[in-house]
Amino acid sequence: MRPYLATARRYWWVLVMVLAIIWGAGLVAGYVEYASTYSSEATVWVHRAPQDLGAANPDEPNLPLLQTSASQQADLLNQLLQTKSFLRDVVRKTALGPSIEAQTDDGAALDAIAKHFKVQALGTNLISVSYAAHDPRTARDMVVAALAVRGERVAAAGTAATTAVSTLYQKELDLAEGKAVAAQQAIDEFNASHSGDLSSTDQEEWARLRLTLDLANVRVMDLRNRIDQAALAPAILDMSGLEFQVVDEPREEGAPHGGTRPALTLAGVAFIAGLALAALLVAIGTVLVDHVAGPADLVRLGPARLFATVPRVGRAGGTSRDLRAMLAAVAFADGRPDAEATKT
Amino acid sequence: MTLDDPLPRSFDGLASRVDATGFRSVAFTSALAGEGVSTIALGTALSLVALRSEAVLLIDANWIQPSLTEDAQLASAPGLADCLAGNTDAASAIRPGSRSRPAFLPIGDRTAARPTLRSLASLLTRDLANYSTAIVDLPPVLAGESFVLSWAALVDQVLVVLREASTPLPQVREALGKLGNATNAQIVLNRTVPQSGSATAALRAVRT
Repeated sequence: MRPYLATARRYWWVLVMVLAIIWGAGLVAGYVEYASTYSSEATVWVHRAPQDLGAANPDEPNLPLLQTSASQQADLLNQLLQTKSFLRDVVRKTALGPSIEAQTDDGAALDAIAKHFKVQALGTNLISVSYAAHDPRTARDMVVAALAVRGERVAAAGTAATTAVSTLYQKELDLAEGKAVAAQQAIDEFNASHSGDLSSTDQEEWARLRLTLDLANVRVMDLRNRIDQAALAPAILDMSGLEFQVVDEPREEGAPHGGTRPALTLAGVAFIAGLALAALLVAIGTVLVDHVAGPADLVRLGPARLFATVPRVGRAGGTSRDLRAMLAAVAFADGRPDAEATKT
Repeated sequence: MTLDDPLPRSFDGLASRVDATGFRSVAFTSALAGEGVSTIALGTALSLVALRSEAVLLIDANWIQPSLTEDAQLASAPGLADCLAGNTDAASAIRPGSRSRPAFLPIGDRTAARPTLRSLASLLTRDLANYSTAIVDLPPVLAGESFVLSWAALVDQVLVVLREASTPLPQVREALGKLGNATNAQIVLNRTVPQSGSATAALRAVRT
């Protein structure tokens, strides 16, 4: 330890300069980050997450997640923000769009943008969406764009689901209509082949055919109603605005805000890096410093000559402190050099 | 543990050289703290007791860190500083030795006096003349130059302890420069890799 302290004392001015440069740069970077970061935030009231995009536990898909509406919506939005296609759509709606699209590989830029978004649940039905940027307009535009693209995605997902359901119902409707036509044909043929009074057997047959026709018509009517409901329900829900209401619109902040954490991170990293570099310099300086490697090296000390050497004492598990304690025990006999003389 | 154990005999090489050169007073110091000066002074004193059939006095003159006095649990006892201040006489401050142990003069009350050339000369020539050999434990030169130089002018030999592959050469040069050429300080290299075949055993055999 002492050689390291000696090296640090010897090169203290180098260490001070290194620490001053690194810590100073960290402080300046932190201040600039704090003073040039603007954050825009939107507060959203959420009713429920759309079932088509609902979150599920990726490890246990069959295990239902007990989540509030806010946490569901926050998770959903966070997942969307992890996808590059979503971010591309968001950026495309802002002034950053052309510059990002001009890049051949926009992955890094989109990842950096994603890190500036922050989505968190504020309560059971309230979430906040914020974006930190060096320009207040960009921060606001990004939040607005994210909410807009999210709405488009949800609507698109709802439409896709509706289309799928409508297609399924349409196939069943075609089948049901075919059955109804067939039942009607069967009744027409029966009426054509039977004139006058019907026997009891024919009456039963006619009643069976009529029942089949009625059931087919009811099925056709039911399917037509379902198709109408499937087409209208998402539109009605979207128009009512119950699912996702922006309570506080994002605004352009006039004063820097939201850069505290990055600024502290920068300053902290610079502080630790400075200490680490100083420690490394001291260690390297100690290792590389000119010291006596052996008796032959003593000629470098000028007129001073070697008087004697004291070998390193090796005893299993022993240290220099053990040696000193043993010597003291011999010399001082429990603290009293004259103990032996007194005894004798 | 006795003097026949290998640990005290690690200092036999150094003690035998002191014995062979005929030095009566030897002071150990270093450039930096932690070089093992007090341990070497203690071990050398023990070995000299075994080598010489005369009285050996171990003096703790480390005003900065009097570890020998702490080892002897004599921190509150009168000692060297009190003798220099005239508060007590050396005879009562020195803890007598025996045939296997050196006599010991603890540091005493360090605030009572500082070592000056005149007071030390008086002490060595008048009060400590009965001891044929005096081993002095001094503080590091770079940390306590004023406590070292007066001793360096009076003792027969100043030995600067440095640790092999550890003590920075610039600090050693600086310490030797402070001691000055007139002191003719020599080096004791501590914690070296043991060499096979020591002349110490042969020397002890001849003397016994």
